[in-house]
Amino acid sequence: MAAMNKRTAVPGFAIGCFLFYMLLPIVATYAFSVATRWDRSILPEGLTLDWYKAAFTDQWFIIVFKNSLVLSISTVIASILLIVPTAYWVHLRVPKARPLLDLISTLPFAIPGVVLALGLIRLYARPPLMLARTPVMLVAAYVIFTMPFMYRPVANSLEAVNIRVLTEAAQSLGASWGRTLRQIILPNILPGILSGGLLVFATIFGEFTIATFLVGARYKTFPMQLVYFTRRDGRIASAYSVISFTIAWTTSLVILWIAAWGAKRTSGGGKHPTKGHTTGVVGD
Amino acid sequence: MTSNQAKKRRRKRKWLDWIPLMPFLFFCLVIMILPLFFMLKGSFTGSEGQFTLEHYAKMGVSIYAISFRNSILLSGITAILGVIMGTIVGYFICQLRSKRAQELVTALCDVTSNFTGAPLAFAFIVVLGSNGVLTLALREYLNWKIYPAFSIYSFWGLALAYTYFQLPLMVLLIIPAIAGLKSEWREAARGLGASSGQYWRYVGLPVLTPAIGAGLLLLFANAFGAYATAYTLTEFRFPLITLQLGFLLTGEVFRDPGAGDAMGILTLLMMGMSIIIYQVISRRGRKWQQ
Repeated sequence: MAAMNKRTAVPGFAIGCFLFYMLLPIVATYAFSVATRWDRSILPEGLTLDWYKAAFTDQWFIIVFKNSLVLSISTVIASILLIVPTAYWVHLRVPKARPLLDLISTLPFAIPGVVLALGLIRLYARPPLMLARTPVMLVAAYVIFTMPFMYRPVANSLEAVNIRVLTEAAQSLGASWGRTLRQIILPNILPGILSGGLLVFATIFGEFTIATFLVGARYKTFPMQLVYFTRRDGRIASAYSVISFTIAWTTSLVILWIAAWGAKRTSGGGKHPTKGHTTGVVGD
Repeated sequence: MTSNQAKKRRRKRKWLDWIPLMPFLFFCLVIMILPLFFMLKGSFTGSEGQFTLEHYAKMGVSIYAISFRNSILLSGITAILGVIMGTIVGYFICQLRSKRAQELVTALCDVTSNFTGAPLAFAFIVVLGSNGVLTLALREYLNWKIYPAFSIYSFWGLALAYTYFQLPLMVLLIIPAIAGLKSEWREAARGLGASSGQYWRYVGLPVLTPAIGAGLLLLFANAFGAYATAYTLTEFRFPLITLQLGFLLTGEVFRDPGAGDAMGILTLLMMGMSIIIYQVISRRGRKWQQ
């Protein structure tokens, strides 16, 4: 009996500590955002929604929320338009270019946001171009910055379903290009596009560094306002943090769900078309 | 049609096949490659346009040297902490009997590894700031005043916040490798009379080594390029290389472009080498997971 206890006590304790470390900051932020006062006592003194009200009624809230939404959606669209056709074409016709594409799409992992911003400003912020400090350039930088998140899941789906055979089979049965793409290719790589797109969306919605340097106060984003409030008013900052974090974890869970769905759809071929987990450089 | 003509036509088509890739390649060239190339060029160019090494010489002294040292220490220490704790936690997660519990903890790791930047920094202020939840609880219940010896705005405060996004990433990296340890190997080792210690020393750890080494490098790069977490906690007060770069970039007038370029190139080198070795090791390690 004692031996039994010992065998489960150590793993239980380790996982318990891990969960405490991982959950405490999240739980505390959520609680802080609905607490009246929490700087004098162990437990919050009361509950309130005042901080959310203050955050929502601030004239900047709608602006920064909208700006971040516009940036995220534009980046997702630009990224899909640029990367999906390229990845498809490479897998279909130019397998020789695959190592090159794999390399290019991994490069952004080695480029921190602040270095990318520095390079763009040094090259494009001087006359006559003066392009670097615009939202359009920011979206372009974001497409590069999030490229591994888009390319990897899409390339994995393309590999998992053997796109070449599918395309040739469809065409030999007389399907037109449009029909092949719409009815054969797209449904097969949709899980990859969806999880890539969602990951890009969540990453850009929370992106602070590149936005600060490229557009700064001229185009304020949600994370910029969050950082501003961490110095000005912790209560409103907590409401912003909760919103930001809620968007992030909802997206992560949807991505995991899509991965499970994709795996079920293509069960039989052992390879997962989309890995739910993001293993790469994600720290900021 | 002679076979020669056919070959020629095929070659021509092969060349044409590259054309649809051009928009993508051009985009990467303009937005990624050219800026980095001019950064490299700028890092070797003096104020009169002559070749110089003075920008790199500057990196060895004063604030630049301190920033590099701090960045390397912070990334190195949080990578080591993340790898050790992540491997242990990952092992125990694999031991969990309930599949459901395994999936839940893994999903938590997936969510938290993306929890970085300003919201994370703010969450740590709530927990461990001078009036933080944990700070108060420790003072009240254990009579342990962690301030001023500790501060969330100091090196170890940053290390604690960084480890938060390092640890779950390592768990996600190591779980496939641990799951690849076949129970037959363990039984075979036991059958041949090996103790549990011997099994780990000669079978378990060597098989996990590539994943652990790869994790160390990925986590190092993961922390080295981070900016928003450190900026939200310390603004520009704590010297890190990314914060130093950010400081040069603030303001419409560029303070010391040459130094900025040199810092950028050295940062790219550190990150690039880590990522390349990470890729090589993890590709080699994957053969055990088949």
